[in-house]
Amino acid sequence: MSKIEIKNLTVDYTEKKNRFTALRDVSFSIEEGEFVSIIGSSGCGKSTLLSILEGINFPTSGEILIDGEPIKGTGTDRGVVFQHYSLFPWMTARKNVAFGVKQVNKSASKAERLQIADEFLEKVGLENFKNKYPSQLSGGMQQRVAIARALAMDTDILLMDEPFGAIDAKNRTILQELLLELWEGDGTSPRKTVVFVTHDIDEAILLSDKIVMMTAHPGQVYKEIEVPFARPRNRAQLVQTKEYNKFRNRLLAMFYSDIVNKIGGEEVVL
Amino acid sequence: MTLKKRYLRTVHFLFIALLLVQLLPDKLTTDTYAGYVIWFAVGVEILTLIVSALIKKPLGLTLFVDIVSFIYGLLIAWTLATAKFNLLKPSLFPPPGRVFWQLIGDYEKIFTNILSSVGIILQGYLLAAAVAIILGLLLGSSERLGNVATYLAKFLGAIPPIVYIPYGIALLPTFRSVSVFVIFLATFWPVLAGTMSGVMNVDKKTLDSARVLNVNRFTMLFSVILPASLPQIFIGCNQGLTVSFVLLTSAEMIGAQSGLGFYIKNYSDFGDYTRTLVGLIVIGIVIVVISFGFNKIQKYLLRWKH
Repeated sequence: MSKIEIKNLTVDYTEKKNRFTALRDVSFSIEEGEFVSIIGSSGCGKSTLLSILEGINFPTSGEILIDGEPIKGTGTDRGVVFQHYSLFPWMTARKNVAFGVKQVNKSASKAERLQIADEFLEKVGLENFKNKYPSQLSGGMQQRVAIARALAMDTDILLMDEPFGAIDAKNRTILQELLLELWEGDGTSPRKTVVFVTHDIDEAILLSDKIVMMTAHPGQVYKEIEVPFARPRNRAQLVQTKEYNKFRNRLLAMFYSDIVNKIGGEEVVL
Repeated sequence: MTLKKRYLRTVHFLFIALLLVQLLPDKLTTDTYAGYVIWFAVGVEILTLIVSALIKKPLGLTLFVDIVSFIYGLLIAWTLATAKFNLLKPSLFPPPGRVFWQLIGDYEKIFTNILSSVGIILQGYLLAAAVAIILGLLLGSSERLGNVATYLAKFLGAIPPIVYIPYGIALLPTFRSVSVFVIFLATFWPVLAGTMSGVMNVDKKTLDSARVLNVNRFTMLFSVILPASLPQIFIGCNQGLTVSFVLLTSAEMIGAQSGLGFYIKNYSDFGDYTRTLVGLIVIGIVIVVISFGFNKIQKYLLRWKH
């Protein structure tokens, strides 16, 4: 049994009397401990798909099974990182993480929760900023806190909706490497199942075991591609290999052919 | 801050000017109690020097000495216009020394009246704020109820609460409870409107972040929606506080047997304008102190906002 099974998912929207099909008949599955990226141009429904996984949106037909059970709403088995910093502005970095921990681990005392928060803030390199409010932190730092919170909650599944989409190129690289390092771990504990939405092909290749490429209007799965590179991965070494560039070009060709075929001249951010 | 910036300020020259003005010959024939003005000025000056020595922010010091300068300037003008040149009618405008003398002479009575007034304002205000915030959170959570209640709060809030005084007098057992009731109404509607507007405008991203953390309804309401609405709630609370001050004295002037409004009304009825002025000054001080405390609380609770 797969960890996550997406079965014939269709989502229709009605907006100003127009009917949109955001997702049509989307099916694929994700194994336990697998890192899967969903990639596609804007309008391909990748964020809609993730919101259904998060449990804050519901399909018109079809279903998603987690461990064989259909999703009925939000749940403590899934941790989420949004593109827009999802921290609570009235809580310090530390309190934000501890608040997340509290929701999944009701039995932990306040001191234990704060200790877990400190531990994970240290992992993302923010031990000196734990008492700062989000407004006092840069975008990249806020996203580190959000990642720390999602990891501290220790859920089976991590859902990440373009988490580095609003961050400048240099910091994005740093955060991708941090995520990779934290997720790959030291081999002592099982890896989490990650669903990662992005529109950045390099990001998808670096991080994922599998890339699900989607097309727009309506959102459909275009292709599932296994990423053949061994772990642990090192960006600097990986990008210099011939295999990497060949693989990347193949994906780009696929991505562009899809865009040309499907949506013509619309602006696409890569 | 340099020593020059700390201590070389116009305020100290005004202090000396105020003392010198007191030494001019009086034109007013009754006792002007100039000594009380001098003692008051010396007290304020010592406070100013202490603040000058301890304060860290230059802007804060500037604000403080500007306020003190204003007080000194006012006292100079007041002394000149009354005691020294007798330009105003002495029965209506007693010299400042006389007011200070009266203030000290009446301190027990004034203290009791301050307690009475502050008690009324705290009871009415805190009760109204607590009820309005909880009700606003609950009503605002439903779009339909929230919309209706917003209109209702706007309509009912626009009626000056003072018009309810006759009903209050007819229905409530004591004049004190009438005052509490009027303050309650003055605070209730703006806080309710502010809370609902806050609740109904919480950022969807904030709500989604909370939802994916799988928070229960209680946590959602009190740990997410309440703090997220706090800036708007404070707008309502500020509005309520301002109106409460206005209404407190008005309410106390009608029928009450205690409080600062009663003190003023009582003595102005007897033509005792020295005590009327004492009452006005004390009310001013009480309002400043409460507002200062309120601002401190607001600043603390909204410290995460920039």
